[in-house]
Amino acid sequence: MDYLALMEKPLVVLGCVYLSWKIIRNIWSFANIEKEPITVLVTGAAGQIGYALVPMIAKGAMLGPDQPVIIHMLDIEPAAEALNGVKMELIDAAFPLLKGIVATTDVVEACKDVDIAVMVGGFPRKEGMERKDVMAKNVSIYKVQASALEEHASPDCKVLVIANPANTNALILKEFAPSIPHKNITCLTRLDHNRALGQISEKLYVHVSDVKNVIIWGNHSSSQYPDVNHATVSTCNGQKSVRELVGDDKWLNTEFITTVQQRGAAIIKARKLSSALSAASSACDHIRDWVLGTPKGTWVSMGVYSDGSYGISPGLIYSFPVTCEKGEWSIVQGLKIDEFSREKMDSTAKELIEEKSLAYSCLN
Amino acid sequence: MAKEPVRVLVTGAAGQIGYALVPMIARGIMLGTDQPVILHMLDIPPAAEALNGVKMELVDAAFPLLKGVVATTDVVEACTGVSVAVMVGGFPRKEGMERKDVMSKNVSIYKSQAAALEKHAAANCKVLVVANPANTNALILKEFAPSIPEKNITCLTRLDHNRALGQISERLNVQVSDVKNVIIWGNHSSTQYPDVTHATVKTPAGDKPVRELVADDAWLNTEFITTVQQRGAAIIKARKFSSALSAASSACDHIRDWVLGTPEGTWVSMGVYSDGSYNVPAGLIYSFPVTSKNGEWSIVQGLSIDEFSRKKLDLTAQELSEEKELAYSCLT
Repeated sequence: MDYLALMEKPLVVLGCVYLSWKIIRNIWSFANIEKEPITVLVTGAAGQIGYALVPMIAKGAMLGPDQPVIIHMLDIEPAAEALNGVKMELIDAAFPLLKGIVATTDVVEACKDVDIAVMVGGFPRKEGMERKDVMAKNVSIYKVQASALEEHASPDCKVLVIANPANTNALILKEFAPSIPHKNITCLTRLDHNRALGQISEKLYVHVSDVKNVIIWGNHSSSQYPDVNHATVSTCNGQKSVRELVGDDKWLNTEFITTVQQRGAAIIKARKLSSALSAASSACDHIRDWVLGTPKGTWVSMGVYSDGSYGISPGLIYSFPVTCEKGEWSIVQGLKIDEFSREKMDSTAKELIEEKSLAYSCLN
Repeated sequence: MAKEPVRVLVTGAAGQIGYALVPMIARGIMLGTDQPVILHMLDIPPAAEALNGVKMELVDAAFPLLKGVVATTDVVEACTGVSVAVMVGGFPRKEGMERKDVMSKNVSIYKSQAAALEKHAAANCKVLVVANPANTNALILKEFAPSIPEKNITCLTRLDHNRALGQISERLNVQVSDVKNVIIWGNHSSTQYPDVTHATVKTPAGDKPVRELVADDAWLNTEFITTVQQRGAAIIKARKFSSALSAASSACDHIRDWVLGTPEGTWVSMGVYSDGSYNVPAGLIYSFPVTSKNGEWSIVQGLSIDEFSRKKLDLTAQELSEEKELAYSCLT
C-alpha cells in the first residue's frame, strides 16, 4: 500500500507530461506550421532547361512536397521579356508551394540570400567557334557569377553547375568564390548516371527503379566513363550484378559506354533541340539527394571537388560515386578499380586537366 | 505493396505542352507520388522522330514511377487500355485560316479519336481535352463516343481558374494558396467569365470575401476579367510561344483533383457536360464550379448569380451554342 502511494505522484506527473505533449503536438499539426521557404536560383532561366526546371522546383520535385520555395530567375538582357513571360506563367499556375518569384537581369538581385543555385546559363558553342573561344566566354561568365554568389548568397549555399563545360565552369566558380566551401560546388553528371541506369534497364527489360549503383567517372563530356562494375539489379533472388545479368562484357565495354557518352547528341538528332526535360529532372534528383540524403545502400554520381580519392588529381571537379547524409556528400571509398576502368578514369582526368589549363590561359 | 500502374495517354505529345506535361506525369504530380504510371504518347507521322526523342528522354530521366512508355503514331495502340486521356493534339490556327477551317479540321480529328477511345480505352476512362477549341472538341468527342459516360468527358478551364487565383493574389499581395473559390464560367475562350463573387482569401481573421478585400468593383468587373480572358495572348507576346508550363501544370491539377478529390470547402473549375444547372443550356461542354469525390465531379449548386454575372454566363453559353452549330455544319 505504501509502495502505491509512493508511485502515485510520479505517475500523475508522467501522465500529465504525456498528455501535454500530445496536446501540443495536436495543436502544432492543426495549426499547420509551414517550413520556412528555401530560396532557389536558376540562371539562364529563360531557356529550355530553365523552362522545364522551374515548374519542377515549384511543385516540390527538388526539395520535397512540404518545402515552400522562392524562385530567383536570372537571364541576360536580350531574354528579359521572355523571362518575364516565364514569371507570368509561374503566377498563372498557382503553385501552392511557390512563395515568391524574382525575375531579373541583375546578378546581385538574383544571388541575394539564395540557398541553392542551379547554374544553367552559359555561352553555347556556335558554329565556327573554337574550343578556346567557348571556354573564354564561359570563364568570364563564371568568374562574375562566382563573386556575386560569394558576396550575396546564403553562407551554406549549395551550387550545381549545369552549363557546359560543366566541370570546368564549376572549377572557375570555385576559384573565384574562395569563401564558398569547396564541398558546396558541384556539377551535374546525374543526367549521365540516369542515362546509364536507363540503358541497363532497357537491355535487361527491368524497371529502371530496380537498377542502381552505376558510376559516372570524370568529365561531363564524351570522355566520361560509365562504369557498371558495381551496379546491381533488384531481382526476386536479391541483388544481382549487372555484368552477370547482361552476360555481354563486350557490349558493356564498348557500345553501352559510347551510347551513354553520346546520348546528348542522339537527343539533339531526334528532337532538333537538346535534352531539357531529362536535364531538368536530373538536376532535381541531384539537389534532392544532396539535401535529403541518398537511400540506404544506394549511391549516385556527382561532379565534386577531388580530394585525391581513387588516384585522381586533387583540385579538379570530377564525377565520383557519392552518398549523401545530412546535406553533405561523401565519396564512396574502397571500390575495386580494374585495369580497363583505371585507363578510362585517367583519360577523363587528363582531359579535365587540359581544360583547366585552357581555362586559366583565358584568364591571362 | 506497390499499386498497379495506370495508363495515361497524351496526344500531341511531341509538342510544347506535351514536353512540359510528360515529366510531371512521370514524377507523380498528376496521380500522386505512390501511383506508378505507363505513358502512352501519340502524335502525327511528321513528328515521329521528335516523339521518339521525348521517349528517349523519359528513359534517360530514370523516373522510378514510370513503368513503361509507348510512343506511337497509331491511334489504336495509343488508346489501348488507357484510364486517363489528355488530348493536347489538335489543329492549330494558322495565319489566314478562317474559324470554320480550324473548326472543320479539329472536328474530324476529334471524331476519329472519339471512335478509337470508345473502342480501346479502359472502361471508365477519364478524358481531358486541352486542344482548342477545347469545349467544342470535347463535345464532338462526346458525340462520337456515345458509350463513354458523358461525365467522363471534360475540357480544361483550370488554367483560367489558376490564372484568376494568381491575379487576385498579386492584387492583394497574398500567397496564392490562400485564395480560393473563384469560378470560370463557360467557354475556354475570350468570352469566359472569371467570377470572384464567391471567392475568399484566408486571413488571420478567417476567410474574407475577395470583393471586400479588393474593394474595387470597377477593376474586378473590367480589367481583372479581361486580364484573365486575354492572358494566353499576353504569354505569347512575352515568350513568343504559348503557355506550355502553366497549361501542363493546370492539366495535372484538373486530373489530380478529379481523381483524388477536391479539398474540403474548396471547389475548382472544369469544363463539363451541362445538365441545365444555373440555366445554362444542357448538352454543351461548359465550365462550372465543381467539387470532386471518389473520382466523380459534381457541380456546386445554389450559388447566387447577380445580374452582371447572368449576362456574362449567357453570353459565353451563346458562343458555345454557335460553335456547336458550326461544328455540326462541318460534319455534313
